[in-house]
Amino acid sequence: MKKRTQLIIAVAIIAIIVVSAAAYYYTTLPPTRTIKIGLVASLTGSAADVGTDMERAAMMAVEEINEAGGVYVKEYNSKLKIELIVGDDKTNPQEGVAIVTKLITEDNVDVLVGGFSSAVTLASQVPAIEHNVPFVITGASSSSVTRRTDKDTSYMFHYCTITDDYSETIVRFLNHTVKPIVAPNRNLSLALLYQNTAYGQGCYQSTVYFINTLGLNITIVAAETFNMGDTDFHTQLLKIKNAKPDAVYHAGFTRDTADAIKQGIADVGLNTLYIAVECCEEPQFYEFLGSFGDRQILESKFGPQAESYSEAVDDYKAKYIERWGVIPGMMGADTYDAIYLIAKAIENAGTLDKAKIRDAIENIEMPQMLIMMKDGIIRFDENHEIDPLCFIEQMIWDGTTLKPYIVYPDELKQRDFELPPGYVPGGP
Amino acid sequence: MLLAISPPILIQIIVWGLIVGCIYVLLASGLNLIFGVMKVVNFAHGEFMILGGYISYSLSIFVGLNPYLSIFVSMIVVGVLGVIIERVCFHQILGTSKLNELILSLGLIYVLQNTMSILWTDYPVLINSPFESRVLDWVIIIGITMLIMTGFYILIRRTKIGRAMRATSQNRVAAMLMGINVEHINMLSFGLGTALAATAGTLLAIITSITPYSGEIPALKAFTIIILGGLGSPLGAVIGGLGYGLIESVAVTVLGGTWRDAVGFIILILVLIIRPMGLFGEKEI
Repeated sequence: MKKRTQLIIAVAIIAIIVVSAAAYYYTTLPPTRTIKIGLVASLTGSAADVGTDMERAAMMAVEEINEAGGVYVKEYNSKLKIELIVGDDKTNPQEGVAIVTKLITEDNVDVLVGGFSSAVTLASQVPAIEHNVPFVITGASSSSVTRRTDKDTSYMFHYCTITDDYSETIVRFLNHTVKPIVAPNRNLSLALLYQNTAYGQGCYQSTVYFINTLGLNITIVAAETFNMGDTDFHTQLLKIKNAKPDAVYHAGFTRDTADAIKQGIADVGLNTLYIAVECCEEPQFYEFLGSFGDRQILESKFGPQAESYSEAVDDYKAKYIERWGVIPGMMGADTYDAIYLIAKAIENAGTLDKAKIRDAIENIEMPQMLIMMKDGIIRFDENHEIDPLCFIEQMIWDGTTLKPYIVYPDELKQRDFELPPGYVPGGP
Repeated sequence: MLLAISPPILIQIIVWGLIVGCIYVLLASGLNLIFGVMKVVNFAHGEFMILGGYISYSLSIFVGLNPYLSIFVSMIVVGVLGVIIERVCFHQILGTSKLNELILSLGLIYVLQNTMSILWTDYPVLINSPFESRVLDWVIIIGITMLIMTGFYILIRRTKIGRAMRATSQNRVAAMLMGINVEHINMLSFGLGTALAATAGTLLAIITSITPYSGEIPALKAFTIIILGGLGSPLGAVIGGLGYGLIESVAVTVLGGTWRDAVGFIILILVLIIRPMGLFGEKEI
């Protein structure tokens, strides 16, 4: 052979060896893969305050998990980092559908988390249902998000209290604590002012249901509605005043609830007991209300502003304040827990196969975190709902700030319930 | 339904309808002036209203100015901004195509909303009244509306500028031939219209909270009111605004809060079917 031919053969052999070695090396390396979690939150629009809290909480949970090495996934034989991809539903159903579709089809997320407002989530969950993407919903409280009959909701999970939980806690509290003080010899008169959405209607219907089912001596004397985004409640409150209630249950968001309470007391002269629900457990709610919130009621399951009642909540609150400079809100706490729940489910599944992740979420059993469960264990029931422990807080104005204290149930009670200043009882 | 309500509460419901009506009057009058003179449909009118509310809010918080006095400052600021926007934006495309005007005003909605969101965040704000009694606020709101609308009426009916505005509104070409500088009149009308919206915004922020996105529905209602009252008719805007406030209040009482926004549009459709030129509009010859 000529020298030149020998040289070409030698170079070719070396090239083959190098390429084969490189190919072997790269095929035996664990694949670079992250767990993509799509967060659906209202970062703009009427619920932007809640959405921002959800985003902050999700970021914290993801950072904590990643700092601890990530999530071990058997299929990859390594710990994978979580990549959080945030989508803004702009507190709007159409935008919600668009952003969830983008998260699934363009960002290729493995799991979805978040979703605020039942009206928005009922729309935005549809692409997730159609693409079989597990969705842990942390901010929509209508039970229909996992119980709807027109769609297969087997990939939907509800890590959030539902309207049944709100209403049951509220009517039990009214019957147990308020009725003996204001209406010992007659039925307690209750008025509802609720958002005309699946969430608000759920609150109203579950209130009627629990009053009847539990046989409580409570009469609903008025039930008024408003549209999502409304800021003027004067006319509805005047009608409610005409019905002489002992208490007004407002089923709305942070902003409309604070507006309605202020307008009721300052403008309409309806000096009664106002009850807000837990989605108002946001720092802004306390700021908006100010002195108008004195001795008013908030149903809750996470009270970062209340006196210490849980070590986990205290730790989270301290970390949140250190990171963001503000007190955390309710839906962020749900979202924080849900990220850990998803991480645990993926670890249990050992794969990023969506069907197997779904099965793992369905069968999850882990100790409670920020949201207390009645038996201390996070698990989903046949409706893919959790069983949280709710409580009632009473907000006290000390002249400069509004601070909540747990007044119900007895096992968590921090102080006794008092009627608001200037309270005027209703009539039969 | 109304009969089941006690008379004092019924009176409060009617008074509340009039107070909300006052805000609609100011908003619709500004929109009517812009449309009447320039024939421009400014969909961003509601955002100018909210901007006025935010400016008054900032003045009351950071300067400690009485919110009712801050109205006049926000009128000037928003009015000047209106003049600039008319010069920079609307003036450039006026007369080209209605579609251009439409797209421009829709684009302005997002520019103004996002700007307000950056400056004041999306969190709702409410201007705290300096008075203990809300009744006093309501009286002042009605009084300020009457004062501003009287001044507006005098300006339109009794001054040279007002005559020029009316002339431009009636026949633009003829007004130019008569020596009226219609470009200046456009500028003034847009500035005055947005200043009226700013007044409405401050009053709105005193009675309910506002966010950068609170202007969309009131702007739609203002369009309904000027169509209801008759396009270009100042009296129609006043009667239409007050009437709309009352109808809305009664509708919420009788039909429920869900109907607040829908009922006005139902009435609008009826008016357009029965009297297409509006209640106070004149038939075109």
